[in-house]
This record gives sequence, C-alpha cells and structure tokens, in this order.
Amino acid sequence: MREVSKSFGTVQALRGFALSVQGGEFVTVVGPSGCGKSTLFNIVAGLDEPDDGGILRFKDRGCHARELLGRVSFMPQRDLLLPWRNVIDNAILANEIEGASRRDARARALAMLPEFGLAGFEKQYPHQLSGGMRQRVALMRTFLFERELMLLDEPFGALDALTRTMMQRWLLDVWQRHRRTILFITHDVDEAIFLGDRVLVMTARPGAVKLARQVDLPRPRTPDLVTAPEFVALKREILDAIEEEAMKSFIASTGA
Amino acid sequence: MSRSAARGIAGGVLLLLIWEVLARGLSLPAYTLPAVSDILGAVWTHRVPLFSAGWLTAAEALAGYAIGCVAGIGIAVLLVLLPPLRGGLLPVMMAINSVPVAAYSPLVLLWFGIGVASKVVMVALAVGFTIFLSALAGFDRVDRRSADLMRSFGAGHLAILWRLRLPAAMPLIAAGMRVSTVRSLIVAIVTEMLGAYGGLGWIIYQAVVQIDFVQVWSAIVVASALSLSFFGLVGAVERRVIFWK
Repeated sequence: MREVSKSFGTVQALRGFALSVQGGEFVTVVGPSGCGKSTLFNIVAGLDEPDDGGILRFKDRGCHARELLGRVSFMPQRDLLLPWRNVIDNAILANEIEGASRRDARARALAMLPEFGLAGFEKQYPHQLSGGMRQRVALMRTFLFERELMLLDEPFGALDALTRTMMQRWLLDVWQRHRRTILFITHDVDEAIFLGDRVLVMTARPGAVKLARQVDLPRPRTPDLVTAPEFVALKREILDAIEEEAMKSFIASTGA
Repeated sequence: MSRSAARGIAGGVLLLLIWEVLARGLSLPAYTLPAVSDILGAVWTHRVPLFSAGWLTAAEALAGYAIGCVAGIGIAVLLVLLPPLRGGLLPVMMAINSVPVAAYSPLVLLWFGIGVASKVVMVALAVGFTIFLSALAGFDRVDRRSADLMRSFGAGHLAILWRLRLPAAMPLIAAGMRVSTVRSLIVAIVTEMLGAYGGLGWIIYQAVVQIDFVQVWSAIVVASALSLSFFGLVGAVERRVIFWK
C-alpha cells in the first residue's frame, strides 16, 4: 500500500502511509498510542476504505479495501467470542461463514485444541474461561481461517507475562511451519523485535512510517535472545524513535 | 425447592389466610369481598363452564401470542435488513403503539366480529408491539466490533443477522416474550368483556350483570392460574435457552 491516508472528520489518522509486506514475512508495527495503528488495520482488513488517492495492492493487483473482506484473517484486540457458542463453535465461526462443513471444521478445531492449551475445554462456554484462554480461542479462530495474510492487533496484550512469552514462541513455531504472512501490532518493543522479520515504528498522529528496521537475528529464536547485544542495540534505537514520537503527541495534546 | 420459592408460597398462603379471617370475621358482604373458601367452592361447583371458558380464553391468548411473536420479530428483522424502511415505518409504529391497545378494541370488534378472531387480533397487536420493540432494541445492542469481525470473515448481512444479531438479541426478545404472556391473557379477557360468545371475560361480564360477585372472583382465580402458569412456563424455557446470561 502507498500514499494511504484516512481522516475521520477533522482528525487525520493516517497520512501518506506506505507499507509493503512480502509473502511469508512477519512484520511488526509499534507506535505511540493513538497513532492510527487500528485505522491501518481496519483498512487492511477491508472494514474501512482509505481516503481518495490511497493505493492498495493485494497479490500484485490493485484493489479496494472492501475487496479484502474475507481474504485477510483478522484478529481484533478484544476476543469478541460469542457467549452462546462453546469453544469449538467459536473457533470455527469464520469457517462456518465461508461455508465449510461444520463437522469437518469441528474435527480440525478439535485437533488443534492441545496446541492452544485448550484440550478438554471444547464444550466450555466463554463465560466459563479465563481471559487468557478466551484470547487463545480467538487466536485459534484466526488461525483456522486460513488466509495468506494474518492481521493480529495486540493479540497477547491481555495475557500475563509468562503466558505471553510462551504464546510468542508458540506463534513463531506455528508461523515457521506454515509460513503465513503476518502483520502484527503491539505496544511491546521486545515483542516486536523478538517476533518480527521487520519492525515498523509509526509516527504520532497522523500516522506514517517513522522507522523501518530489518531484524537480522537468527531463527529459531529463543528467549535468551532478548539479552543479545544486537537485540539490545535495536531496542535502543526503536525506543528512542518511539520516545520522540510520544513526546510529540504529548506536547500536541497538552497544547504547548 | 429453592428458599425463595418456599418463602413466596408461604407469603401467598399467609395472605389468603388473612383474607379468609377478615372476610369471615367482619362478615363482609360478597360484593365487597367474598371469603377465599367461598370462591374456591364456587370454582369447584362451576368447574365445567369455568374450564371450558378458560380453555377458550387460553386458546385465544395463545394464538394471538404466537402470531404477535412471529410478526414482531419478523418486522424488526425487516427493518434491520432495510434501514431506509426503518425511518419511514418506525414513527408510524410508535404512533400506533402510543395509544393503549384497548382503545382499538371497538374497531377490531367491528371488523372481526365478536367471535374468536377479534380476540386473537387484539392479543396479536398487543404482544406484537412489545416483541417488536424489544427485538429492535436487541438487534441494535450488538457490538459494532463483533459485526466488523464477522464482516472481515466475509459475512454478508444475512449471515451477520443469523449468527450474531439474532442470538445477541435473544435475551431482550425473551424478556419481552415473558412479559407478554401476562399481557396476552389480560387483553384476551378485556376484549371478551366488550363482546364475546364465551371465555373468562364473558363470564366475568355476565356475573357482574347478575350481581354474582363470587362468580366474578372464581373467574379471576382461573384467569390468574392460567396467567401464572403461562408466565412460569415461558420463564422456564427462557432460562434454558438463554443459558449464557
């Protein structure tokens, strides 16, 4: 995508945003809060059209955002599980909408449960699960909806630190096996570097790309990587960029 | 049996006892307040006509209730699927609904006669509006983000309605259906009082004309029993269906 802008009334959320993701790439996006990350995701998910002049290309073809509906597997911040569906039926929701047979979808979901730490919970309803488990059901729903591009909007934000680290490693593991293309939003710089092939830092609103850094750290990555000198150097650089933008938006919002 | 149910029954029995003692002790005339035992005796004596009248009223109420539920939900679904229709139709519906249903009864009796049809129509009207409004409120309550998520999965309007809006609206629809049980019987009885060939309302009306107030009370007892059991039945179904609340 190039030259993508989006305004809501007088507020410009994105301005001249450009991003290109290669097949099989894992791109993470960090930025100060309110920098238009969610707007970016809504456009890529097909929920919002960019303002006129924005150029979107998907698989080397120009397209409108709405044509991306059903072609990108999207996971919002909140789990948004349906309270009247049990774990399995929530996980297969997207497949059901696609028109897949319920029985096949259920069988595939059932086989995936242990991988998501949900074995034995298939018949439980969302109100019976912990927050972390609900998030894993939502993640499973996203994975079962197999699309070339996965959009994850702070999927681990609600999890406790330990579960979070485990889920990160697990996500890398799955990604390495399936080689899906992932665009991943996070607040957490460690998470962004640990997971990504490339880290994007966004500017304060209106959002644009402030900094893009390739992460040339070897894979498979292990948790002790976070203390490696290359990791720390990269983290320093990214933190500085975020700090600068956060200050800008802070000053702007206090009217100084 | 739960503690609260036991308390409720104890309270009811106590109330009836006080009633009995007061009516007997003060020797109240029957047109003021007949004793409970007299009323129950009358119910037993007239059990055959009361039963068939109750049956007729219940059948009218049930038929109207079913039609009202289907029509109410159906119209709400239609307005959700066709938003332009909503702007035109909703104010009209609200205007019709702002007048108590009973006000329409003379017209309905004129159009549909004093047989069963007019009672069914009146009940369907009363129930239909309640269900329509609760269904519409339920459909509107759906979280936008959930609808967006379904859209991102490629779901169209119908799929979102069926898999998200309808189930999400169920708690409100069910609450409306529970409240409407009582309303359906009230409207059926009131309409019968205005003109009918039978039914509990007709019995009440006839008894008043004949100054037989024990008979009035016995019809009221049957009507309450019907109403309470209908309410309890729908409530029990609601608790089973809407298990996630």
